Amino acid sequence: MNFDWSVVWRNADALAEGTKLTILLAVTTMAIAIPGGIVLALMRLSGVRVLSSLSACFVELFRNLPLILVIYTAYYVLPVATGFSFSPITTAIVALSLNVSAYNSETFRAGIASIRQGQSEAAYALGMTRWQATREIVLPQAVRRVLPVLASTWVSLFKDTSLVSVVSVGELAYTSMRIRAQTYRVLEMLTAMAAIYWLLGYPQAKLVDWINRRYAVNE
Amino acid sequence: MDLDYSPVLDSWQFLLNGLELTLALSFLTILCSLTLGGAIGLARCYGPRWLAAPLVFYIDSMRSVPVLVVLVWTYFALPLVIGVTLPPFWAALVALTAHISAYVAEIVRAGVASIRAGQTRAGFALGMSRAQTIRTIVLPQALVRMLPAFGSILSITIKDTAIAAVIAVPEYMNRSQTVAGQSFHPIEIFTVAMAVYFVILFPVTRVVDIVYVRLAHLGRS
Repeated sequence: MNFDWSVVWRNADALAEGTKLTILLAVTTMAIAIPGGIVLALMRLSGVRVLSSLSACFVELFRNLPLILVIYTAYYVLPVATGFSFSPITTAIVALSLNVSAYNSETFRAGIASIRQGQSEAAYALGMTRWQATREIVLPQAVRRVLPVLASTWVSLFKDTSLVSVVSVGELAYTSMRIRAQTYRVLEMLTAMAAIYWLLGYPQAKLVDWINRRYAVNE
Repeated sequence: MDLDYSPVLDSWQFLLNGLELTLALSFLTILCSLTLGGAIGLARCYGPRWLAAPLVFYIDSMRSVPVLVVLVWTYFALPLVIGVTLPPFWAALVALTAHISAYVAEIVRAGVASIRAGQTRAGFALGMSRAQTIRTIVLPQALVRMLPAFGSILSITIKDTAIAAVIAVPEYMNRSQTVAGQSFHPIEIFTVAMAVYFVILFPVTRVVDIVYVRLAHLGRS
């Protein structure tokens, strides 16, 4: 058994490009999924039956589907449904955003619901309006509960971007596997891929643990 | 847009076999992960101190690497290291178990840690041994508290088995791709696949919620 690790260094540029795209995908998706999640959560809490059931259906659907299936479906359905052809990257962002928006919506909803009724009642008793109570009492506390969950979702999203390699988006996983196929350096390339994900993901996982401790709620 | 679902009907047996494999792989993965993850979680809480650091490293590493990477590495690279090629199904079982055990271990640790120290002390004060206290006081309460998290592990596992399609495990996702490729009706095939996964996953999450609501009072102290 002889291994030739120089293949990793020779392809360092391609791997760096792939890593950049991985990060870009995660950032873009989150930038879409946070407003998306807020809109879905507001729809759910609006008290308007049509809006809240629409939001509930959307959230339950995407929380109960394998992401890889959503990616494949988006890849085949989007062009037919809209009549436009989408680049693989756009398809990937659409699929990831649908998934993460559903999760974020639950995070926001649970965060707001977790603040006891007594808190807003106390605010009303002090003469605050509903809007004041929401802005000054409920939201600041809800943020503390939402933030750690959002951080965990971010780490999951970062890892899940690897799944879009199945529709040939040239991110880190796809790039590594392409080089593996071209050079037949299977162990070297796959280990390098795992190592890069680990180097990026490990500090994030630790940071999430820290955020969880930092924002632990003591009511 | 004309939809034609006949390819699904024509290949229903082929797809059904895939679905059976999805369920078999999910079941075995959950069984192995609960066993291994439970052991790791308990070893981290109660094991010797030198064992904690490597276990934490393992858990955090698995939390930071995508499951796709673990699957692909186990199937393609591991054989080069150990000299034995695993068939796709078994490679998927090994990889998914390695991945999900880490999450189970975290749940077990959090569950045990959530039981107040006073409970253990009360056990000691009653003259119980350490093992007795853990077995009869801490774990029964901790297990109830872990239930909702185990529920999400069930649904995560079933969803993750779909990723095994990438290493050609002929489970439902993989079979759907095959039929989609042969029939040129990907939209119909994948829509049906979405319905099938939803019908399996939605009740799983619901049933666990309902069971937990019934049992939650047992975990309070």
